[in-house]
Amino acid sequence: MKYGFFPGCSYKGAAGYKESTEAVCRVLGIELEEIQDWNCCGATSYWSTESLKAYVLPARIMALAEKQGFSEIVNVCNACYSTLRKAQEKLSGDETLKEKVNLALAEEGLEYTGNFKIRHLMEVIVNDIGTDKIKEHVKAGLSNLTIAPYYGCQLNRPWADIDDAHNPVLMDGLIRAVGAKPLENYSAKTECCGAAQMVAYKELCVPLNRRIVKDAVNKGANAICTVCPLCQLNVDSSQAGLGLPKIPVIFFTQLMGLAFGLTEEDLMLNKLLTPFKTAV
Amino acid sequence: MTNELALRDNFFKKYHAEEIQNCIQCGTCSGSCPLAPYMDYGPRQLFALIREGDMTEALNANTMWFCVSCYNCVVKCPRGISITDHMYSLKKLAAEKGVKAPKMLHLYRSFNTPIEKHGRLTDVAVMAGYGLRHPGAAFGNIPLGMKLAAKKRMEFKARTVDNIAGFKKVMEKANELERLS
Repeated sequence: MKYGFFPGCSYKGAAGYKESTEAVCRVLGIELEEIQDWNCCGATSYWSTESLKAYVLPARIMALAEKQGFSEIVNVCNACYSTLRKAQEKLSGDETLKEKVNLALAEEGLEYTGNFKIRHLMEVIVNDIGTDKIKEHVKAGLSNLTIAPYYGCQLNRPWADIDDAHNPVLMDGLIRAVGAKPLENYSAKTECCGAAQMVAYKELCVPLNRRIVKDAVNKGANAICTVCPLCQLNVDSSQAGLGLPKIPVIFFTQLMGLAFGLTEEDLMLNKLLTPFKTAV
Repeated sequence: MTNELALRDNFFKKYHAEEIQNCIQCGTCSGSCPLAPYMDYGPRQLFALIREGDMTEALNANTMWFCVSCYNCVVKCPRGISITDHMYSLKKLAAEKGVKAPKMLHLYRSFNTPIEKHGRLTDVAVMAGYGLRHPGAAFGNIPLGMKLAAKKRMEFKARTVDNIAGFKKVMEKANELERLS
């Protein structure tokens, strides 16, 4: 299966996300074809400061994807995913805004129509590949691992159409499919990591991460599993000085890779700040 | 009508924020907000101030700058108000009125500047820009930066879109259209 791929700015520097995503997609036969010439989506920074450019940035990515023949755009970051979806939703209901956006895009010979689907890779794997197909590729036994499924906030909100807004379960099913145990009753699964506020108001955001970590540690998880580079960085890096046992924060693609029998080097587990030794 | 009321009505109109009038003051937003304990006013109180026309107090509050965009209030609001979007609008209006230059606005500018120049972003570019205004925060992030650099997760070279000339033309046109509106 072939998809247009929007990696976003933080993908490359994220702890082994790129390597594990590529490896897992190879196993599953998913072709992620990078959208050529993509730009930053603008994220919350542009929503907070610019009325028109906040739409022009994501619209340029979508217009490029369309020009390059893709009907679906796959994201690996919650912020990119929600930004593209939000732009698409607002533009579909506002002809004047869409016209302005297209006037700007015309400078580069691009046009935004909005006729495509915005997806997140985790949801693509669960919904398009399916857990039965995933199970066929499982080689390593991970039954001794309890994994806390941490969804973050912008994957299921505000639309809540790929999963429940308050108690999402997609990743729980994925963790089960690869042979590990999802942490039951993980209350912090959609708590916010503080996102960019972590830079300016670190002292207020570390306590948010403390909740995410403590809930997982107290209930007996061996690792926290994430679907977003910023979530991973915040939850992993804020553990220094919490006074709690440290818990590794891995990407869902790294967990899948381990189950598929890939090595720690293949999945770049050494790039995590809190080391993850599977000892399986 | 006082200037504040005119400002409020203009805010409702320009930013499609009239739905704030539908707020029933239940406080579900403030109760579900992760950073509400640190806000001068929770979203509920902020909306009450705006309805009463106290735009000076509302625009000087730290509320919108502490909004982390988690949309928890939006999915819970029984009146279906797009609270997060109104926080974005209040940030834009506060910046426009020059009422305050909080740290988050500096961070946003440090984020936007490299994008306008290169089309793509690196953490290093954001922190370099922000560190010029807030050396303490930049200094505090040095240990993390060193750890990430040791793991080859830092990019020191700027990343640029392929068609940077085209990208800049699009952004310039958007600026022009924005000035006209």
